[in-house]
Amino acid sequence: MIEHVASSSPDRGLLGRDLPDRLLAVRAAEGDEDSFAVLVQRHGRSLLALARCMLGNPQDAEDAVQDAFVSAWRRLPEYRHSAEFRTWIYRITVNRCLTMRRRRPPPLPLDAVGEPAAEDAWSQPARSAEHDAATTALSHALAEMDAGQRLCWILREVQGLSYKEIAHVTRTSEQTVRGRLFRARRSLQEAMDPWR
Amino acid sequence: MALDDPHARPTEPPGADGPRTGPAAGIPPFPGDEVLPCGRLLSRVWEQALDAAPATDPHTVSCPHCREAVEGLATLNAAARALRAEAPVGLHALADRVMNIVSAEVRLGRLLPLADPVRDLRISENAAAKVLRQAADTVPGATAATCRLLPEGDGTGVRVTMTLAAALDGPLPDRVHQVRRSVFHSAVQDLGLDVTAVDITVVDLLEPDPLLPPGGGPS
Repeated sequence: MIEHVASSSPDRGLLGRDLPDRLLAVRAAEGDEDSFAVLVQRHGRSLLALARCMLGNPQDAEDAVQDAFVSAWRRLPEYRHSAEFRTWIYRITVNRCLTMRRRRPPPLPLDAVGEPAAEDAWSQPARSAEHDAATTALSHALAEMDAGQRLCWILREVQGLSYKEIAHVTRTSEQTVRGRLFRARRSLQEAMDPWR
Repeated sequence: MALDDPHARPTEPPGADGPRTGPAAGIPPFPGDEVLPCGRLLSRVWEQALDAAPATDPHTVSCPHCREAVEGLATLNAAARALRAEAPVGLHALADRVMNIVSAEVRLGRLLPLADPVRDLRISENAAAKVLRQAADTVPGATAATCRLLPEGDGTGVRVTMTLAAALDGPLPDRVHQVRRSVFHSAVQDLGLDVTAVDITVVDLLEPDPLLPPGGGPS
């Protein structure tokens, strides 16, 4: 005997149910687009913010995050769930951003220009006008910082990731993360000194 | 510099962050660290100020050196807050583009026979799994995880193997039974499969759905 026991409550869709990432990732790995769409909605905004911090340009950031999600979709069937989905997609996005930065023309040496390095869009006048001077100074200081330190600082202070998550994303130890964070804070503090 | 590329690590000497002896109760300082006059390490005072709840350490509250060190970060912290509060970026167009690309990349999986006598109808595993996951999802307090379909025997038989996440606000056996019936019904009635078995394993727990009464509603 077969009895249909469909719920009497309406299907509120995957988005409304607050399902854990790991469950959505498992379904997406088997080709369930709806589950993947929830993951895109859930993580897209913070990944865009991360990419914008790393690339300094909203258009580049959108390209990087789009590439990262498409790459994640293709790689999901091989994703072994050894890391949280959030950490995994952060890592893919970070690598995409680093690749895009590497392909850019090299920045002019600092002593060759009167103003801070002009290769990043956060140096554009329109954008600077929207920022107060201190935030612009912070963006400039970030742009000039060692890549590993900058990444750790953005992931911690802008994205709010834990040391453990940052260590996973950057494939290093928590101790290394904390050391890079300290040096990042130190050099950013010095760069911000005129605004005290 | 890709993080996965071992030849392109950020420029740091190897072992730069390794343990080393130092002051401040044997806590190894980071390169470039500073010992405050009170004996505390600047790096740890900053970490404590930024990571821990305020006033968890009586020393930091009363120590003028620690307080000064923390106050030295105020400008940076204010600018970081402004950076965090930057106008939220629109996601709609980006999400649409991603999902358009994703939808264009069809994954069929294996082709399975439908229960017709001449055996010339097939359905892709992924399409069938989507329907069966939806059937499982209709049971309150249950959500399908994986769903695989395998041909069984020489004929049109198909075995369904599903993993499930379930809430514990009602008896688990009842809920699994409901899911099995729903999946079986959908496989036979909606898809026309010749189902030989529906194997279900609960692999994950769900928070109880706050919008449903305890027990997941009527069964």
